[in-house]
Amino acid sequence: MKDLVRMRTSLKEEIERILNEQIKMEAHSSAIYLAMAAWCDRNGFDFSAGYFYKQSNEERNHMLKLFNYVSDMGGHAISPEITNVPQDFDGFRDVFELALQQEIAVSNSINRIVGTARQLNDFATDQFMQWFVKEQIEEEYVARRAIELFDVIGEEGVGRYMIDKAIPKITYGDVEAQ
Amino acid sequence: MSNTHRLTELFANTKGTTYQCDTTNRIIIQFGETRVSLRISDFLTFKKRVDSVDIHTMIFNTDDAYDVEVIDAPRTGHLFVLGLCDLIALRDLLAGTRFVLDLNTLLNERLYSTLVF
Ligand SMILES: [Fe+2]
Ligand SMILES: [Fe+2]
Repeated sequence: MKDLVRMRTSLKEEIERILNEQIKMEAHSSAIYLAMAAWCDRNGFDFSAGYFYKQSNEERNHMLKLFNYVSDMGGHAISPEITNVPQDFDGFRDVFELALQQEIAVSNSINRIVGTARQLNDFATDQFMQWFVKEQIEEEYVARRAIELFDVIGEEGVGRYMIDKAIPKITYGDVEAQ
Repeated sequence: MSNTHRLTELFANTKGTTYQCDTTNRIIIQFGETRVSLRISDFLTFKKRVDSVDIHTMIFNTDDAYDVEVIDAPRTGHLFVLGLCDLIALRDLLAGTRFVLDLNTLLNERLYSTLVF
């Protein structure tokens, strides 16, 4: 008897389910960053707004990367419904702390997917997810550096103005290689 | 066995039987008088629809609208109109079928993979 389930897709049901959850999470991240960009625009933090617009785009690309993978493997990729997007934030620094928290939540979720893929001997998904594991190192680094600027520069006087200007310059990478 | 109609019975209960056809790669559901043939992805969608019906509401809501459930079998043009007992029987039939399909995957993975040539 033919194995019709396997012929349809290489993804096990559980893997397909958690990948679709991750698709939703990346889309949610994208929406949150967009709201943060708007908040920064409204409050005169022009450079930070630009930074969050860029982040928002990146998150959409993460979503698409996962979406294409599920679809290409014969799975059912689900176009996500996004709700619960915060539209207002307590302050400049809070925006960045929330961004870091969001990235940490994403890292944890990525790790869980890799763990499950290994448990189920799905080495293709394991390897596919390694790109995200690496990406999260960078994402967390940048988010953490942004918060550090608040301590290094200080928010008093022209502090916030200086922090805003410094935000887009944060990059992750080997200093010597740059 | 005729090569044009390779049917394997997957699962049966008091109300129906399911088969796999290796010629058309389809799952055939015989339920009461109804017979539909579904592609595997449509079968899984159909199973999800049947599983997502809120049986609790069907039992405890006295409104007529909750006496039957209408479920569309994807790309067959067929609607299943199900009372509570039928729904439970269909759910059981599809769950048993899914189990056999998974068992077959397992067998293919563990036993037959070396036999493919
Ligand atoms: Fe992401
Ligand atoms: Fe991110």
